[in-house]
Amino acid sequence: MSHRHSSSAESGAQLLARLEGRRSLENIEPLLFPKDSGPVNGDVVEFHGGEGTGKTEALYHLVARCILPEASGGLEAEVAFVDTDYHLDTLRLVAVLERRLPAGSEDAVRASLARLYVVHCGSGAQLLLTLHYLEGMFCSRPSLSALVLDSVSAFYWVDRANGGESLALQEANLRKCTKVLERLLRERGAMVFATVQAVMRKYESEGPVGSLSRGRQAPARADLSKVYLCRAWQGIVTHRLYFSKDDAADGKRIFSVASSCSRTKSAGRCSFHVTDGGIQFL
Amino acid sequence: MVFLKEGLCPGLTEEFIQNMRTKNIRTVEDLVSSDTEELAQKCSVSYNVLVAVRRVLLAQHTAFPVSGADLYEELLSCTAILSTGNASLDKLLDTGLYTGELTELVGTPGSGKTQVCFGVAANLSCRLKQSVLYIDSSGGLSATRLFEMTKAKTSSMEEQMEALQRIEVAQVFDVFSLLECLHNLKSGGFQQVSAGGGTLKAVIVDSVTTVLSHILGGKQTDGLSLIMQVAGELRTIAKDLNVAVLLTNHVTRDGNGILKAGLGLSWSHVPRTRILLECMEKSGSAYSGLRTATLIKSSRQQCNLIQDFDLNSWCETEVELPGPSGKRKLVDEDPHQA
Repeated sequence: MSHRHSSSAESGAQLLARLEGRRSLENIEPLLFPKDSGPVNGDVVEFHGGEGTGKTEALYHLVARCILPEASGGLEAEVAFVDTDYHLDTLRLVAVLERRLPAGSEDAVRASLARLYVVHCGSGAQLLLTLHYLEGMFCSRPSLSALVLDSVSAFYWVDRANGGESLALQEANLRKCTKVLERLLRERGAMVFATVQAVMRKYESEGPVGSLSRGRQAPARADLSKVYLCRAWQGIVTHRLYFSKDDAADGKRIFSVASSCSRTKSAGRCSFHVTDGGIQFL
Repeated sequence: MVFLKEGLCPGLTEEFIQNMRTKNIRTVEDLVSSDTEELAQKCSVSYNVLVAVRRVLLAQHTAFPVSGADLYEELLSCTAILSTGNASLDKLLDTGLYTGELTELVGTPGSGKTQVCFGVAANLSCRLKQSVLYIDSSGGLSATRLFEMTKAKTSSMEEQMEALQRIEVAQVFDVFSLLECLHNLKSGGFQQVSAGGGTLKAVIVDSVTTVLSHILGGKQTDGLSLIMQVAGELRTIAKDLNVAVLLTNHVTRDGNGILKAGLGLSWSHVPRTRILLECMEKSGSAYSGLRTATLIKSSRQQCNLIQDFDLNSWCETEVELPGPSGKRKLVDEDPHQA
């Protein structure tokens, strides 16, 4: 206990552990990313998709992989989960964890969950302040490796309306958040997973921003891949995953993911089923 | 946005604030985001004071991280699954409405959304003896119908009255009064009002469409911003007060003529579970109470599960055995259902 109170007298070894010892999350899930270009520490992965396309499931899959003990195929790393949508379903996450742990290991589930820190944010301003706070937390806890933002787009419309006529003001909050995240990535070597809800359609003749499909003939397959968050955010994203769903003939739903990596300019594609115990790659 | 005010934290004096204002630092966010060292030099305030103030403000205004293990513990001890009082709907919902979650019923006019809301309210207040807040925004609440349903559950006049007392009704006819109502609820206004005993376990909003749909359109951002604020309030209420929230919404058709929930793409992400109610395709079934319910969004069960049920089942007295009265179970899956 005593070493916690004497942070000024940090040993060289402790310093090294703090600066370089952040657990690498390489190979977190090679199947989900383009070949040989999975995310490394300091990368931002964006999960982009419409409602019910499996974003959350994929997120739980990765969170489970991070927090599970090494003996059960996990990385035994700590994760900070920023829940802006009040969306985190702990029971579901527990179901995913239980499936991967040997039967009857209630304690292991709890031990894994203890590696997860959950923050609920109710407004854009609170999100910004919380990110500042988390920056300090990442600094003092080398075992904290990943930050999950579910979702970045939660306050998009509120920010837009609060900004009045000026686009710069409308995007100010997310831009500030991005700045903090940039520091977190560069100086602390964290890995960020963020979901973005697809709320805009892309039309052949790019319509006015934000127009919903009302009264308009939607294309046979709605293209929801329109990028709408501010440029600063787009600038830090290194990996993009587009989620979509198809109904297979046997009634089982197939979710597919198109992945791209801006660093190596490579792309990949994979698909999965959702089962009781999480996602299962095909 | 929190403006810097005297007394917000120790060290935050009027002089300090004036000093900050000259450098365009007006809110807590501005102060926290700025470079402390640079600011201290520019404003000629003590670096130590600035760091201390920043730290306190951050601790005051940030959301605090909770360990997942504690969250799970809390969830296990206080999550309740509330039966809707209808076996078929319970089956779709994986045994009932979960507290802390938003469940949405969608359907065309006359598909029975309001009736299901009545049924759920009656079941919660009569059988489970819990309080319900019924936010009626369409003027569709019928006290006689609710009374009929409570009469089916219990024959004692006293119990019927108690049950009806546990259903608190709020009528809102625009989005601002809806927000006000939700704010009141959050700040503890409901506990004083509810006299019938029992704790608040469910909030029913019938319907969200009537107050939200007309503010969409035009330049979009104002309407969408209000919709997302309502969504945010509902979600925080569900989590913080640990209540189940049941919403009703209308439907639109997409380009392929398939029914989908109204209020657009941004809203589509809001509810955790969504059930589509439809009249049965047999002729004349609109006048009977037979409906089909399809699970179109769920994080717990496979989607596209279909169940038939009878709206009148809430009015039947309990002694009746599950006979042919709409409690039949149909095939589980039919992805080609139009």
